[in-house]
Amino acid sequence: MKEIVVISGKGGTGKTSITAALASLAQQSYIVVDCDVDAADMHLLLQPDFAHKEDFYSGQVAKIDEMLCRNCGRCADVCRFDAIDFKEGHYVIDELSCEGCGYCARVCRPSAIEMRERLVGAWYTSKTKYGSDMVHAKLSIGAENSGKLVAKVKKEGKAIALAQHKSLMIVDGSPGIGCPVVSSLSGANFVLLVTEPTLSGLHDLKRVYEVVKRFRIKAGCIINKSDLNATVCAQIEEFLEEEAILHVKNIPYTKAFSHAMIQGQTVSEYTDPELKRLLEESFVTIKQTLGV
Amino acid sequence: MTLAFTTKEPSWDSMMEARFGRAEYVVVYDEQSAGITIHNNADIANQEHGAGPKMAQAMADLKADVIITGNGPGANALAVLEKMGTTIFVGAGELTVSNAYKAYQENRLEKLSSH
Repeated sequence: MKEIVVISGKGGTGKTSITAALASLAQQSYIVVDCDVDAADMHLLLQPDFAHKEDFYSGQVAKIDEMLCRNCGRCADVCRFDAIDFKEGHYVIDELSCEGCGYCARVCRPSAIEMRERLVGAWYTSKTKYGSDMVHAKLSIGAENSGKLVAKVKKEGKAIALAQHKSLMIVDGSPGIGCPVVSSLSGANFVLLVTEPTLSGLHDLKRVYEVVKRFRIKAGCIINKSDLNATVCAQIEEFLEEEAILHVKNIPYTKAFSHAMIQGQTVSEYTDPELKRLLEESFVTIKQTLGV
Repeated sequence: MTLAFTTKEPSWDSMMEARFGRAEYVVVYDEQSAGITIHNNADIANQEHGAGPKMAQAMADLKADVIITGNGPGANALAVLEKMGTTIFVGAGELTVSNAYKAYQENRLEKLSSH
């Protein structure tokens, strides 16, 4: 089983649209994992059934036992996050502000404060509208993605892929270059970089490639909206050549991306034969590189 | 030499784990005494953030001279390990532990060079 991770560094380059398009081309033979949990939106295109749900706990949150609390206020005094309010005669934790550092629990003399595991969201295993398996997650309000959650959904995806002898796992990677991205990349066989010919597109591509290079994972790049700026597009192509990154495809700007999205379709389903051809060719190139 | 392998299972026959910080177990092999010890890494694997640097600390506690793993540590963990003078070999993510050891002995693994 081979694992492809799609990342972009910069937002809005078409990463998720392209990931979903690859998933729709692959249909049942592959499994899809959504690690872009901060703003998970691949479910809008692939319409999974949310069949199996499990709560996800990560980090801690303080809880005050009113029966033990003497209302001394030491906890509120030491809290660096202003997360303890005095309301209706009691000290209460504002869970959105609490960072789970545990300082309050440490200074509380009657030990009225307990640090509990924080429920941050849930992860799901689903069937998509194509009948393929998908592992994805949803965060609660105010919760943030973490390397832990990414590792969890990838591990579940891998287990399903191995059990069902799938040849490929397609991962919609996390944004940025931090902990969740490192966790997305770990164990991958191929990284697909999706970028666009803008200065920030090029800048963020270079930045995220530093992380990919560190893990020595083979990389390829799709330049989406390639005809928007010929100068920057040429700079990106030059960078790909310097770094020996496989130049998978240039996809010219097309409104089909937003039209397909509005209709809840993947771009390869949407009736634009030229775009469909470019995506199919990209997928073939990637599969050949991976030998699947 | 004390060698640390990142693994999926707590045994010498286990498959290697490509992940560094969030590996399930660390199998430690002491070449002098030929003794194997197992470190259960669940605590670090379950860290929300920064599993890598915490794993670097664990490697210091386990007194590993050599780390054998898959992708290799991220930038932060690597900075710590370089200061410690630990030697890191990568590219063993899809082998069994015993085959990874063999590959190490036969000099077939890629050594992570400091820069």
